[in-house]
Amino acid sequence: MNKINAFLKEFKTGLGLFGQNIALFVNSFLLFVVYLTGVGFTWIFAKLVGKCFLDIKHEKTNTYWDDLNLKTKPEKEYYRQF
Amino acid sequence: MYVLGISCFYHDSSACLLKDGKIVAAVEEERFSRKKHDNSFPINAINYCLDSQKINIDKIDHIGFYEKPFLKFERILYQHLEMFPLSLKTFVASMPSWLNEKIRVVKIIKKQLKYKGDVMFIEHHMAHAASSFLVCPFEKAAILTVDGVGEWATTTYGLGNKSNIHLMKEIKFPHSLGLLYSTITAYLGFSVNNSEYKVMGLSPYGQMNKEKNKYYRKLQKVIDIKEDGSYKLDMSYFTYHYKDRMPSKKLCDLLEGPIYKRDSKVTQKHKDIAAAVQLITEDTIMKMLTHLYNETKCQNLVMAGGVALNSVCNGKILKNTPFKKIWIQPNASDGGTSIGVACYIYNTIFKKKRNYIMTNAFLGPEYSDKETKDFLDKNKIKYTSFKDEKDLVKTTAKLIYDNNVIGWFRGRMEWGPRALGSRSILSDPTNPNMQEILNSKVKHREKFRPFAPVVCEDDALEYFDCDKPVPEPTDYMLMVYPVFKKWHKKIPSVTHVDGSGRLQTIRRSQNELYYDVIKEFGKHSKIPILINTSFNIRGEPIVCTPFDAYKCMMGTGIDYLVMNKYLVKREDNPQDMWDCEKYARD
Repeated sequence: MNKINAFLKEFKTGLGLFGQNIALFVNSFLLFVVYLTGVGFTWIFAKLVGKCFLDIKHEKTNTYWDDLNLKTKPEKEYYRQF
Repeated sequence: MYVLGISCFYHDSSACLLKDGKIVAAVEEERFSRKKHDNSFPINAINYCLDSQKINIDKIDHIGFYEKPFLKFERILYQHLEMFPLSLKTFVASMPSWLNEKIRVVKIIKKQLKYKGDVMFIEHHMAHAASSFLVCPFEKAAILTVDGVGEWATTTYGLGNKSNIHLMKEIKFPHSLGLLYSTITAYLGFSVNNSEYKVMGLSPYGQMNKEKNKYYRKLQKVIDIKEDGSYKLDMSYFTYHYKDRMPSKKLCDLLEGPIYKRDSKVTQKHKDIAAAVQLITEDTIMKMLTHLYNETKCQNLVMAGGVALNSVCNGKILKNTPFKKIWIQPNASDGGTSIGVACYIYNTIFKKKRNYIMTNAFLGPEYSDKETKDFLDKNKIKYTSFKDEKDLVKTTAKLIYDNNVIGWFRGRMEWGPRALGSRSILSDPTNPNMQEILNSKVKHREKFRPFAPVVCEDDALEYFDCDKPVPEPTDYMLMVYPVFKKWHKKIPSVTHVDGSGRLQTIRRSQNELYYDVIKEFGKHSKIPILINTSFNIRGEPIVCTPFDAYKCMMGTGIDYLVMNKYLVKREDNPQDMWDCEKYARD
């Protein structure tokens, strides 16, 4: 009986690990597809319209400080995640 | 009114509890989970905060989170969009944690805490600014926050007045002074978000003359610094905006070699590069601060953000800028933002007058004499009891003077990355071999890293060339100052190669017995200074419980453990000895 229990316990652990590996594989594959389609097409469209998402060009200006002007806002603004 | 501040999911998760505007508990999750820089949801830290006040979650009026997750997610998506297809690997690696937890913060908080109210979200750099300004001793102060990155901002400045904060300007990702420092840290083979302080410690061994340090001139190509302290990085030298490694091949070419492997031998080149990045950082910060003073005309300065932990730079601020007073949040990196968010909600959003000044960092758990005794008895540990506090002070000071290494475990645990006299290892700095003894017995640090001295605040100016009056951030080991030359050879274990020391000053009002032990040691040695280093096993967080402290002592070469009113001698308990170095990792 003990041997059966030990086997079942090991089997469950192994099954769990197998499940995790499958999930990792499926997630990675799905994310790969999302990356190619979602990010890829947006990237192509952005290139066509000349949109830059990050300031990575080395353009010199007099100052690199940007205006922020962050002050206290109405309470409800702080319940937003953006 | 109870307000709970939470910081998590990046690094150094923490929680802070405010009661009617006063911080009653604040602690990092790593101290409970025993995982250094733990970034998981700080459930243990929150539970401690609630337990310390004997309340449950229903009593919490507001919960605040230390950033705006959707804004940060937007920045992450923009990185991937800009860097397509180079960012594929990081996209696949990072998205699951974003989708499962980082943008589901509200759900996680409600589920983990069974909390029924709403959660408030404060911008990351505002949380940094608040963590410093709203608990500082100044009514009005200029504010500078510099870190790796928050949502978009990497550097901000502004002005705090009473309970209000106005952040005026920012520098946005990918341009980041913090990430430049981290990139060089990675290049030198050290771990990012962990070992930046090693680069800082290494820098005095390098060429600190700007004219003679060729890497300083080379790194000037990487960053364009304006006279107003604003800066822009040449992103062709970096890959952190789309890869998990930080320096690009171009940066490796510039620095004449590939990225160093972990634990590679430290060469003069390492030292010169460390010196170069330290000099660049100091240049930028000093220019920023001069500009900030010109903009605000306020003589008080507060700082926060990971870069504000650069104690070498901090020690030079008052001498090199027009500011007269300075205050820095002891837990200046992301861990400290839980304090910021809680104070911001109470003081700024709900417009309550500030009624709390942070005068010490002892905000964590403590264990009573009874709890300690129970632990010792239950585990059949041999120990002796001190007769009274006077006996404790005299015995401890004498043990230190006799070249013993002492584990010191008393009172509430420190908030922030430094051990400040509640969870410290103490030893004699006048012994020229003590650095080696500590390293071989306990710390196993790189040889280039000095140990820190602790001195009573009223003695500091005798030994250290500090600003006058001694600024409060020295209480939190946040300022490096020169040791007067005549003491260099008398306290060699805490004098760095450039003659400086990262001192901690202690006031009796902060920690009476710790202060008294230092003074008592001074009666023996004629120099009232001790070595104070963090009470931990290499690669682990600072100890939290009596069990952690005892385990640390028995795994290292600490000779005695002073645990509340009990004294444990390592040699008396051979059955529990083990070798922690077999398991240590940085």
